[in-house]
Amino acid sequence: MIQSLLIANRGEIAVRIIRTCREMGIRTVLAHSQADTDSLPVHMADEHVCVGPPPARESYLNIRNLVTAGVLSGCDALHPGVGFLAENAGFARDVGEAGLIFVGPDPEVIELLGDKIRAKHSAKDLGIPVIPGSSGSVENARDALAAAESIGYPVIVKAAAGGGGKGMRIVRSSSELGDVLVIASQEAEKAFSDGTVYLEKYLENPRHVEIQIIADRKGGVVHLGERDCTVQQNHQKLIEESPSPVVTPDLRARMGEDAVRLLRGLGYTGAGTVEFLVLDGKHYFMEVNARVQVEHPVSEMVTGVDIIRQQLIAASGEALEIRQDRVRLGAYAVECRINARSAGRVTRFMVPGGFGVRMDTFLYAGYHVPPWYDHLVAKLIVTGQTRAEGLRRMQRALSELVIEGIATNIESQKKIVAHPVFLSGTYGTGFLGEVMKEGSL
Amino acid sequence: MELKELYALMERFEKSGLSEIVFKKDGEEVCLKKAAPAPIFAPPVYAPQPAAYPPAHQSHEAHPSDAPVKHGTDTEFIRAPLVGTFYRAPAPDAPPFVEKGDTIKKGKPLCILEAMKLMNEYQAEFDLEIVAVLADNGNMVEFGAPLFEVRRV
Repeated sequence: MIQSLLIANRGEIAVRIIRTCREMGIRTVLAHSQADTDSLPVHMADEHVCVGPPPARESYLNIRNLVTAGVLSGCDALHPGVGFLAENAGFARDVGEAGLIFVGPDPEVIELLGDKIRAKHSAKDLGIPVIPGSSGSVENARDALAAAESIGYPVIVKAAAGGGGKGMRIVRSSSELGDVLVIASQEAEKAFSDGTVYLEKYLENPRHVEIQIIADRKGGVVHLGERDCTVQQNHQKLIEESPSPVVTPDLRARMGEDAVRLLRGLGYTGAGTVEFLVLDGKHYFMEVNARVQVEHPVSEMVTGVDIIRQQLIAASGEALEIRQDRVRLGAYAVECRINARSAGRVTRFMVPGGFGVRMDTFLYAGYHVPPWYDHLVAKLIVTGQTRAEGLRRMQRALSELVIEGIATNIESQKKIVAHPVFLSGTYGTGFLGEVMKEGSL
Repeated sequence: MELKELYALMERFEKSGLSEIVFKKDGEEVCLKKAAPAPIFAPPVYAPQPAAYPPAHQSHEAHPSDAPVKHGTDTEFIRAPLVGTFYRAPAPDAPPFVEKGDTIKKGKPLCILEAMKLMNEYQAEFDLEIVAVLADNGNMVEFGAPLFEVRRV
């Protein structure tokens, strides 16, 4: 078993990992930047090492300093957390070569899944339904036109190296395609240093539904049901829930089997998420997130399984403590992401509590939210016997949450969870955009 | 020990990442050492920084790595530019590059920081007097940790 873990991350995910480590008797060493000297995870970790100045590229993305800190502080493993270097195959390789366990899949697997075209091919080869699209990258306008004709409009142009909506463009007719191709490719080049783009059938207003997987190195691959992440703004998830209001037991079984087959086929280790789009009762493979995800607590609350714990067990080379036939999907859980809209000192902080409420955060009163990093500052998760009960509880919990000193999206989240369309459960990824246009948020 | 065994040991040692090995067998003792590797990086420009970034927090001074040292206004700190192992000397049995009270010229070596098997030598950026040596030989230093308190001369 891992004895000593370097955590190469910050914020709430660092706090989350430290908590499980403490329960498992694993010593934690937190790598942090100069901007995070006073952060909650620095206070909570057994030890901490400053690895660089505030800008992430010199600290949280500084591979040399992170690996050296892991080795010199006597760690035998490194957890990359979420974001930063979590899906960087080169980093995973360097960590391994320095003699540390990388808590995540093997570098080759990260590499393959990081290439969206190769990932889609692998899924297709394993018999998993994929969105109809170009058979590979499109090199020129003529190829693109031919591909778009055979798929049928509307189509979406995507960056092969992409994510976060960058390099993505919807095309509704052949006349727009040429120009859009150039713009998308330039945007992809700028964002990912790789201008490769491909085409896919554009699904109008689908649901975004993902399956949580954990896999060990002994052939154990288990799924923990789905999370519905349809409420998004500019492709950024804001609310996640499980079960999805549109997933039937039959669809859940098919998606779960497909996700397990895919990650087993790839020789995947650790926690991972297989993302699907769902439209009219059909699911289409989108991509794999080769790491634990921000919204993992939703699945934890529904199944009672500590995903970080299973991740550490799998990374140690041991068998998972759970088996598929013992996974019990509970009633309902939902998470609201609380994002900062400004940096600054938190002057007042009141945390919701009570029955069925969980708060994952790194804030405390007096803490100075630095301007350098991701805007996520808290995750509020609640459970309920039914979706209706869970959403009422979420409204109650949001009303208890007070963060003063910095601007946040709490008010906007309150409106979303009370919105009649959201409560109805029938909407697609375009929901939030539509509501925002109405001006009611 | 047979010469054959010694040669095998030497060959193995040469390939290893070790810098020194003492081998004892049947009352015999062999000690092998490698010459200190030349610094592979050109030493980065490294002066006591009028911090490029403002101190993150006021309580930063209370950080354990920032050894509480009294210093006059005429002294400054030389801080670690990377995470690594701090060495005061070019080899385990060599004398330290500098001692407290030494006055040295610009360009003279101050210390070595080892990171990922690379030995990075750091030199004085200006003529200076060593007021205090603040890091322990052979220990890890974190980014920004004070290594020396110095006075410009």
